[in-house]
Amino acid sequence: MSGAASTTAASGAQQDYTSDEMMSVAAARALENGKRCFVGIGLPSTAANVARRTHAPDLVLIYESGTLGSKPDVLPSSIGDGVLAETADAVIGVPEVFNYWLQPGRIDVGFLGAAQLDRFGNINTTVIGDDYTDPKVRLPGAGGAPEIAASCHEVFVVVRQSARSFVEKVDFVTSVGHGSGKGDRERLGLPGAGPTLVITDLGVLRPDPETSELVLTQLHPGVEVEDVRAATGWDLKISPELARTDAPTAAELSTLRTLKEASR
Amino acid sequence: MADKRTTVDDAVAELRDGMTIGIGGWGSRRKPMAAVRAILRSPVKDLTVVSYGGPDVGLLCAAGKVRRVVFGFVTLDSVPFDPHFGRARESGDIEVTEYDEGMFGLALQAAAQRLPFLPTRAGLGSDVPRLSPQLRTVRSPYADGEELLAVPAQPLDVAFVHLNRADARGNAQYLGPDPYFDDLFCLAAATRFVSAERVVPTTELTEGGPVQSLLLNRSAVDGVIEAPRGAHFTTAAPDYGRDEQFQKHYVDSAKDPERWPSFVDRFLSGDEAAYRAEIDRFATEVAA
Repeated sequence: MSGAASTTAASGAQQDYTSDEMMSVAAARALENGKRCFVGIGLPSTAANVARRTHAPDLVLIYESGTLGSKPDVLPSSIGDGVLAETADAVIGVPEVFNYWLQPGRIDVGFLGAAQLDRFGNINTTVIGDDYTDPKVRLPGAGGAPEIAASCHEVFVVVRQSARSFVEKVDFVTSVGHGSGKGDRERLGLPGAGPTLVITDLGVLRPDPETSELVLTQLHPGVEVEDVRAATGWDLKISPELARTDAPTAAELSTLRTLKEASR
Repeated sequence: MADKRTTVDDAVAELRDGMTIGIGGWGSRRKPMAAVRAILRSPVKDLTVVSYGGPDVGLLCAAGKVRRVVFGFVTLDSVPFDPHFGRARESGDIEVTEYDEGMFGLALQAAAQRLPFLPTRAGLGSDVPRLSPQLRTVRSPYADGEELLAVPAQPLDVAFVHLNRADARGNAQYLGPDPYFDDLFCLAAATRFVSAERVVPTTELTEGGPVQSLLLNRSAVDGVIEAPRGAHFTTAAPDYGRDEQFQKHYVDSAKDPERWPSFVDRFLSGDEAAYRAEIDRFATEVAA
């Protein structure tokens, strides 16, 4: 699987795009207009801002620094980027974000990345390796992800897929997905539905309603099931209703690229 | 009227070995760097540093001042990791209490409220409690019977924060976009020092912005320090943004143990006036 894909769009025009662009567009499409969406910097922020410029102009973007309803004209370079506060409906303190917006479940969609993700959607952003005190790689840490994973109505995970990142069991559970399977979230008292959607550069995974195990439900254009299996560290189940993602439209691609260009 | 003005060195002279100190700001933003630099010059050691960490944590670790860091993250924003902090963790020279941001905030809020703990759902089922065996759960005594993680209060012996303006009595104002957690740090601490870009008459505070921008009032502050460019090289918007050139120089020097001593000699061995003169000279060199 190379980084670039090529396909014929519905219009008949030849469109070239990268697998990362497909991922961003697929993530953008998943965001319904009018939802309140908690956005991290990077892939989630890119996808959310593409959505806001295409099908979801009333998406409410909430960034952890306390900006509610940010409408940035360029992608923020960090969570404290001034453009987030300048274009917000309101700016509140970070404790308020956690106490009054995240924990009570006032956010519809929490958008997370992951260094490692396991078959039940548990997320690791703490350490790679078994030993916390002497890891192979020390990652940036939890940030606000545990709160997002606990309490947003739904969690969407956007992550590049590889056998190294999609593992049977994460080395460290930073943010709980579906724990060890169906019913774990209820047992733990976590009110949100957890990861309902995992969008990668190869396709889309969703939790099986019976087991909460992530299964492949959608393939991006030019990707085959074997590509996804090869990039998954567990025995990946394939949905009987496996669908094919529509290639990015010209409008989606140009929105994404304009945004990226403006943010350089 | 109490005049609480003091100097950064007199404030730091109140620190004792082994104390728990809170450092305001967030990442590489509005850090009380003048106070951090004064700590670097002081003999104090074995500190427990509580911080939404930025270069404050890296610098204190590099100088051997730190026994434990309690943190939600340590980052320089435009540079993801602080090299000194990374090295200190790798070498095992420091102990750590690694929280997520929400739990870290609750620990400060509990201390600010003088409560033993505050409950949260975050972290339940994760590996975080395994790392921090001091963490306990608590069950709601009401009909819901919900089990929650009880985040213990993190009281502070001393807090240092840096704001844009203060008066001599300890009312202090932020003029930038974000209060960060500076009010919580002060409320959680037994002794509170605020440094400010300028110390002004009280009337100038209310003329300079809405009354809500007065983040700290005098009953939450014990000492006021005038420290122009006291947050450098972190941002103190709108007075100044982050000095990215200098931050890069810090990171490059911190990455290289051979180069670090000359950084210390040049920038961290004198007082604040010497520091300002030296960063001005550095800016001229970079521009040339």
